[in-house]
Amino acid sequence: MSRFWVTLEGRDAEVGFRTENERLVIELEGRTLEADFLRLPDGEVYSLLVNGRSYEVRVSDTPNGVDVALLSTNIPVEVRHPLEKLLQSTAGARAGSGGETVSAPMPGVVVALRVAVGDTVEAGQTVAIVEAMKMQNELAARSGGVVSEVLVGERTSVAAGQPLVKLKAAGA
Amino acid sequence: MSRRIRRLLVANRGEIAVRVMRTCRELDVTSIALFSEPDRAALHVLLADEAYPIGPGPSRESYLNLERVIETAVRVKADAIHPGYGFFAENERFAAACDEAGIAFVGPRPATIASLGDKLAARAAARAAGVPLVPGSPGPIESLDAARDVAKQIGWPLMLKAAAGGGGKGMRVVRDAKELEAAWELTRGEALAAFGDARVYVERAILRPRHVEAQILADSTGRVAFLGERECSVQRRHQKLLEETPSPAFDAATRARFAEAAVRVAKQVGYLNAGTVEFILDENGEFFFLEVNTRLQVEHPVTEMVTGLDLVAEQIAIAEGAPLSFGDTPPAPRGWSMEARVVAEDPARNFMPSVGRIERVRFPAGPGIRNDAGFYRGYTIPVFYDSLLSKLVVWGADREQARRRLVRALDEFVLEGVSHNLGFHRWLAAHPEFAAGRLSTQFIAEHFRPDSLAPGTEATEVALMAAALHAREERLRIALPQSAGPSRWSGRDRRRSPR
Repeated sequence: MSRFWVTLEGRDAEVGFRTENERLVIELEGRTLEADFLRLPDGEVYSLLVNGRSYEVRVSDTPNGVDVALLSTNIPVEVRHPLEKLLQSTAGARAGSGGETVSAPMPGVVVALRVAVGDTVEAGQTVAIVEAMKMQNELAARSGGVVSEVLVGERTSVAAGQPLVKLKAAGA
Repeated sequence: MSRRIRRLLVANRGEIAVRVMRTCRELDVTSIALFSEPDRAALHVLLADEAYPIGPGPSRESYLNLERVIETAVRVKADAIHPGYGFFAENERFAAACDEAGIAFVGPRPATIASLGDKLAARAAARAAGVPLVPGSPGPIESLDAARDVAKQIGWPLMLKAAAGGGGKGMRVVRDAKELEAAWELTRGEALAAFGDARVYVERAILRPRHVEAQILADSTGRVAFLGERECSVQRRHQKLLEETPSPAFDAATRARFAEAAVRVAKQVGYLNAGTVEFILDENGEFFFLEVNTRLQVEHPVTEMVTGLDLVAEQIAIAEGAPLSFGDTPPAPRGWSMEARVVAEDPARNFMPSVGRIERVRFPAGPGIRNDAGFYRGYTIPVFYDSLLSKLVVWGADREQARRRLVRALDEFVLEGVSHNLGFHRWLAAHPEFAAGRLSTQFIAEHFRPDSLAPGTEATEVALMAAALHAREERLRIALPQSAGPSRWSGRDRRRSPR
C-alpha cells in the first residue's frame, strides 16, 4: 500500500493505493474505490475511471504542487508524503505571517501605483494597476501590512510573476 | 460601378481575420493577411493566401498604423480591405483613405461612419426617423425646477446623467422627488469635478434592461434588409459574453415593429453594407434606440446559423456593387442559435485577463456546432490584443435544444494552459433563470458569485485522487523537509534508465 497526503484548499485527505488481482484500488476517506488510470498520448493527461465513471484529467506541476484540470475547472492540489504531515504538526504554528509580495499576474504595463513606502495597506486594498490586453487590472494586497518596498515605477513594463510591492506584516 | 474583388486584404487578426479568410477561400478571392511581430505564427497568417509584416506588437505601431496598412495594401495590389471588428472597423479616416487609394472598403461610406460615430448625431437621426429614444430631457437641464418638470412627464425612477459622461460614469439613479433634490447638486458637482462640465440631463431609468440589436444589410440600390434580432443581455464590464437569436423576449408583433424601426434608421442615414442597430428593452418590452455599430459584429454567426446566409460574402458582394443575394425577401430564420464567447480570463478573479501558451485543446464537434477559433495547440496568446479566443456557436431547432447543445459542447471543450471562461459559460447555460430566458444586463451582478464556479464534491474528490495517482505515476521522490517552513518537492527521480 502506498499513501499520499493531499491538500485542497484546506481540505486534507490521505489517498492510499493497492493492487488487487491486477486492479488498482483506491482508499479515500474510508471508502474503497476501484480505479483505472491511463496516461494518454498527449502530455500529462490521464483517463481516470473511478468505479466505472469516466474522467479526463490533466495534471501539471506548479511551484506549490500540481494543478488538476477537469470538468472545465482547474483545481490546485498539494501532494506530500504522510511523514511530512507529522513533521509539520510538530513544527507548530510558529511560522507566522512574514508579510507578502504583490506580483504582476501577467505581463503588462504598470499604469498606476496606489501606495508608497511606509503606507499601511489593508487586506483587499488596491496597491497597483497593471494594464494587459487592453484591460486595467487592480492588484490588491491579500493580507495587508506596511509597504516596505516599491520595486517598480509607473509606466514600466513588467513580466508575469514580477514582484511589484513588498509588504511587511503590520506590527511585525 | 461594380467591379469584382479579387485580392482582399484583411486588416485584422485573431478569429475574425480567420473568419473573413474562410469566405475568401470559398469565393476564390485571394486573402491577404497582415501580421505584427508577435503574430508571425498566428492562425490567420497560416490560413491566408499571402501575408505581410506590419510592425511591432503594440497595435498603434502595427494594426492601427493607418499609413502603413494603406501603404502595404497598395504595394501588394489589394483591391479591397475588410476591417473586421475593432481596429479600423469604425474609423471614417481609414475608410476615406481606402477610397483615396482606389481600394474598396468593405463597410459603410466614410460619411455614414462619421455621422453614426457621434452619439448625439446618431440619436438625432433616430429621432428624425421616428424611432423611439429613452424618454428624457431633450438637452441639458438648467435648474432643479426644470428637472422636476421633466420628472413629472417621464415618471420615476429616473437617471441624472452628466452631459460629458460616458462608459457608465457620471450617472445617478433617482427614485423620487426627495432623492432628486439631494442628487441634483451632488451630480452636478461630480460632473464638474470629473469632466470639467457641470451640465446634466434627465432620462427615464431602466434598471434591468435587455440589450437587443437588429442585423441589417443594405446594398447600393438603397435596399435595406432586416435579418432578425440578437439578444446580447449577458454582459460584464459592458462587454457581451453570450448572444442568441431570436430574442426570448420578442413576439412576432414586437419583432415586426422592431424590424421597421431598424430599417427606418438605416434608410434615414443612407446606410450601405452590414450594420447593427442597437436598442435597449425595458421591463415592459418597449424598445429604445441606443446606437448603430457600423461594422460586422462579433456575434454575427448566430444570425448566419438561423438564416443560412454568409454575411461576409454578402458584405463583399455589396462592396462590389452587387445587389443583396436574396433580393427583397430575406430568408426566413429557422431554429435558434447561441454564441458563447470563449475568453482568456479568470471569472473567479473578477474576469482578469490571462495570457500564456495553449498547452492542450480539443474542440467540440457533432450536430449543430460551429467553433470560430483564432488559435491552436502550442500557440502563445500575445499580451497586446483582445482576449477573445474563440466563439462557440450552436444551433438547435428551438431554444431548449440550442441551450442543451451548448452545455454539451462546453462539456466537450478541452482547453488548457490559460485561464478561460468555459466553466463560467457552463454555469450560465445551466442556470434556471437563463434556461427560462429571463435575462437582463444585470444578470451577472444578480446571479454570479465568485463561488459559483467552485468545484463540486465529485470534481474535488477526483482531483485529489488524480493528484495522488500522478505523483505515484511520476515516481516522485519526496524529500523530507529541511526546515520547519512549508516544504515543497525538492526534486524528482523518474527512475528511468537510459536507453
